[in-house]
Amino acid sequence: MSILPFPSFLDDVKEKGFKKAVFEGIDDSVERLTAGLNVQDLREAFRGESASRRPNPRLTPHADGFWLHMRPSYFNRDVTGMYPTFRLGWLSSYFVFFETITGILLMLWYTPSPEIAYGDMLTILSNVPLGQLMRDMHRLGAEFMVAVVALHMMRTWITGSYKKPRQFTWFSGLLLLVITGFLSFSGYLLPWDQLSLWAVTIGASMAEATPVVGDQVNLLLRGAPELGANGLLRFYLLHVLALPALLFVFFGVHYYKVVIHGHSLPPQKENIGEDSAKRVPLDKRVYFIPDMLTYEMFWLGATTFIITVLCIWFYHAPLENHADPQVTPLGTTAPWYFLWIQGALKLGDKFFWGVAFPTIALGGLAMLPYLDVTPSRRFAHRRFMLTIAMLLVSATTVLSYMGLAKFAVQTSAETEIVHELTFEPAHSKVGTGRTIPFDQMIVGAYTTAQMHHFDDMTTNDMIAQINAETAANGQFDQMIQELKDQHLSANQLPLRFRSVPADEAPKLMQVMEEFAHHLEAAPDELPNVWGALVITDNQASLKRLDWVVSWDTVLIEGGNVQLDEAGEPILVYATEMVEVTDSEGNPVVGDDGEALVEEVPVLDDAGNPVPARRIYSDHLFIHQASAYFD
Amino acid sequence: MGRLLFIKTIEGRILAGITMFVGMMILVGWVAINEEARMQSFVRQHTGRSIERGAELYALNCSECHGEEGLGAGDRAPGLNNPHFFGYDPVGLHTAAIINANRALVRLNKDIENLLTELTDADNPPAAERQDEIITKVAELEAQIEEQQLAIEAAVADRIAVLESLDTAVENGLFPLWDTVVDIETTSQNELEVFFYNNGTRLAQVGWGGDLRGYIITTLIHGRPGSGNVWPNSEGMAAWSQTAGGRFRQDQIEDLAAYILNYDKGENWTTEDFLAVAQYGKPLADGSLPTEPPPPPAGDDVAGILARWADEEIVGSPVSGEMLYDAEFGCTDCHRNGASAPDTVGTFARISSERLTLPQFAGYSVEQYLVESITRPGDYVVDGYSSGLMPANFGVRMIDQQLADIVSYLMTQ
Repeated sequence: MSILPFPSFLDDVKEKGFKKAVFEGIDDSVERLTAGLNVQDLREAFRGESASRRPNPRLTPHADGFWLHMRPSYFNRDVTGMYPTFRLGWLSSYFVFFETITGILLMLWYTPSPEIAYGDMLTILSNVPLGQLMRDMHRLGAEFMVAVVALHMMRTWITGSYKKPRQFTWFSGLLLLVITGFLSFSGYLLPWDQLSLWAVTIGASMAEATPVVGDQVNLLLRGAPELGANGLLRFYLLHVLALPALLFVFFGVHYYKVVIHGHSLPPQKENIGEDSAKRVPLDKRVYFIPDMLTYEMFWLGATTFIITVLCIWFYHAPLENHADPQVTPLGTTAPWYFLWIQGALKLGDKFFWGVAFPTIALGGLAMLPYLDVTPSRRFAHRRFMLTIAMLLVSATTVLSYMGLAKFAVQTSAETEIVHELTFEPAHSKVGTGRTIPFDQMIVGAYTTAQMHHFDDMTTNDMIAQINAETAANGQFDQMIQELKDQHLSANQLPLRFRSVPADEAPKLMQVMEEFAHHLEAAPDELPNVWGALVITDNQASLKRLDWVVSWDTVLIEGGNVQLDEAGEPILVYATEMVEVTDSEGNPVVGDDGEALVEEVPVLDDAGNPVPARRIYSDHLFIHQASAYFD
Repeated sequence: MGRLLFIKTIEGRILAGITMFVGMMILVGWVAINEEARMQSFVRQHTGRSIERGAELYALNCSECHGEEGLGAGDRAPGLNNPHFFGYDPVGLHTAAIINANRALVRLNKDIENLLTELTDADNPPAAERQDEIITKVAELEAQIEEQQLAIEAAVADRIAVLESLDTAVENGLFPLWDTVVDIETTSQNELEVFFYNNGTRLAQVGWGGDLRGYIITTLIHGRPGSGNVWPNSEGMAAWSQTAGGRFRQDQIEDLAAYILNYDKGENWTTEDFLAVAQYGKPLADGSLPTEPPPPPAGDDVAGILARWADEEIVGSPVSGEMLYDAEFGCTDCHRNGASAPDTVGTFARISSERLTLPQFAGYSVEQYLVESITRPGDYVVDGYSSGLMPANFGVRMIDQQLADIVSYLMTQ
């Protein structure tokens, strides 16, 4: 007879007493939640004792439960150490879930539209608590994921784990590598800043070289000839829908294959041509519960902790200015994992190096297990394949280096030097010129000529001499004209150089020294060079910094300075147009009735030709609150 | 490393795992506590950088007409670095001082009256001690009244001084409605105050209902017609936003607005700032008015211009044309790279081999095409560029010789 009109917990209490009924209830619930382990079983497992019940309850969750149905119930002790897996496969899986979680959180504040996307980035950084941390984590996780997946592939190659029967596991893994690359690449565009727009423009332009359908592929991908609203939406959908769907499907396939065939043993642990991964001797078994489970929980905590620490103190996801299709930043590169293609493109034909070569490389990788059918996995028997692996690593490294902006891209020295001092913050770096504290930006015109210390002269005397010289040879006036052309207010034009106030503004002094140092490093391209920094007030809280470089023109062909026999750069001399006069000094009139003019070199007082003087300038504004120096 | 990652005992792993999780939660909690401050500092920093970008856009696109320092330029556009624009009332501080002193006077008189009532109260006469006290107190208050009266006199004098110094600004047309509303000789102080209240700021003058930022943003986006009643040569402002056919994205409009708003000095505007503005373009730099009438502008009658050049034998100089093109009229600001307007380089070749082959230019000479493009830029816009970007007032701003110089320079390009 039950107490309530139906059988209930109260009947148990009545029958067994309250304490016993509660304990048994808990026990029952735990066993159902864990699909087979009751409280006593769990206690034994986590104490490291062997199971007291038979059959072994620790195997039931793998057989009956959903969450563990795909995890092996035990591993071979030989694959649970650092070697041979380095836990790279586990880490890859970790990042799949880590990126999904952080990505979904970021999706809450993101709209894929060129008008809104960048503003959303600012909102995430300025108005979403923990938004910055979440974005940093997602970005850092993405970079790690690409690297970890690539390393995972290299490890599989080196230990020969792609060999029979794991050929298809390798193939599905390669698909995952490609998907990971494209996932990271498609996410690159979403912040819609200069960095993302140009990195993706360069990456996507590689598709253009495909024969016949190149333009169509490009158009499909970008949604328009240039990346715009449609392109952003397509990349977004690829990033959050299409690619993750593919990734999860092939993740399932890949992991299923791993479990079916078992983790491959270290090569020396099994006989040649034999695959004994699934035959684990009793004394070598490491059970998932409790050993691997506690390992994995610990790694989960440790990895997340490390990423958190990195994102708090060492890494912030870059965010540059709003994307602007009309302004190409200096030194644009594809994302680092595509640098090897960009480097290959510098070798020559766009189609061969940009499309054929990566296809051949990836195709070769995909076919690797079907090409290399030798039975032995021992290192000593695989010298050829290991050499190929090392060549692949070396070639990728070299090509990636070649992909960097500094390799074989011609930029004139003056542009490069000024850029080095003024570039906007990116990748935790900023042009040193922006790091001068606001109160050290003391209004005035300063020259790097001051840095050539003449021992017998005081700084003031030297500045006076520089002022006299640049006034006499017209170089100062040339600078003034340049500043006027750059819309510096006529009221603010400097009258002369002054010495750098090193005591009040040590950082300014340091930047000027660096400026001088850079200029001296290019003696061939920039002979007789001096640089100037003109600091002016623009608004009460805003300064304007004009960077000027003035030098003698030299002959440059194909980006290289032309040298004469003595190894000196060939100077270009200034010329002017004068009217042709006859022996009596009368102008000569040509056939068309116009006075004839001819181009003659400009000569100085001593009758020597004067080198043509060139000038270059760029400017930036610095607001008190911009805090580039924090 | 292996030993660290592969802790041998189960309880070791459990302990280390819990430590890691707790450590991570503590770190995230610590970050969360500091988020408010971090977000505020991000906003400050971002506003600073927005102002920097706005400054760059302003220097390249706006300084030609509004002046490099925002003080206005010639007869082309008003100053934005301008107290009037930000609602600064030049006599406001002095007026406030006078009002405050007057209030103090009322209060002091009231106090004295109360004390005297107490002293002369027949029904309840105060004690002898209290009487002395009241007399001393009244003497003190009377001294204070004298102080306040001096303060009022001083403030009135200051205010008159400011008003007198503003005469120049008034003469120079700083208050364009002045002549119609008040005569400085006969208007009372009260009427002047009413006038300043109604005309003291740009927003009041144009009858704008919103705030200054809204006014700036709207003007940047859509442009506005010129104030022809104030400046005879004003052509109005172009629409700069992409939404209205211009070239700037919305974030660039915001950057520009942030920069212009950063001119505001708040409490620190001075009368000198007021007078520094070359507002309404009438005075020359020294405050005088031009004495000799300038040569007549070229106008926009293309045939007439070309006929005049032939009659008066006006021949252009490419050298001076280049200077006018680069500096005086700032043509290269837009005509470079071909981004926002056709590139200067290759002008001649493009016109002679491409444009003149178009049916509508049959029978044109290159010279005629150039003169028309400069003086009537709206008549034909090259494919791929926005119309309305090029100012339509060059015919008014250039005299024949300048136009001829520029045309002859472009023929060499």
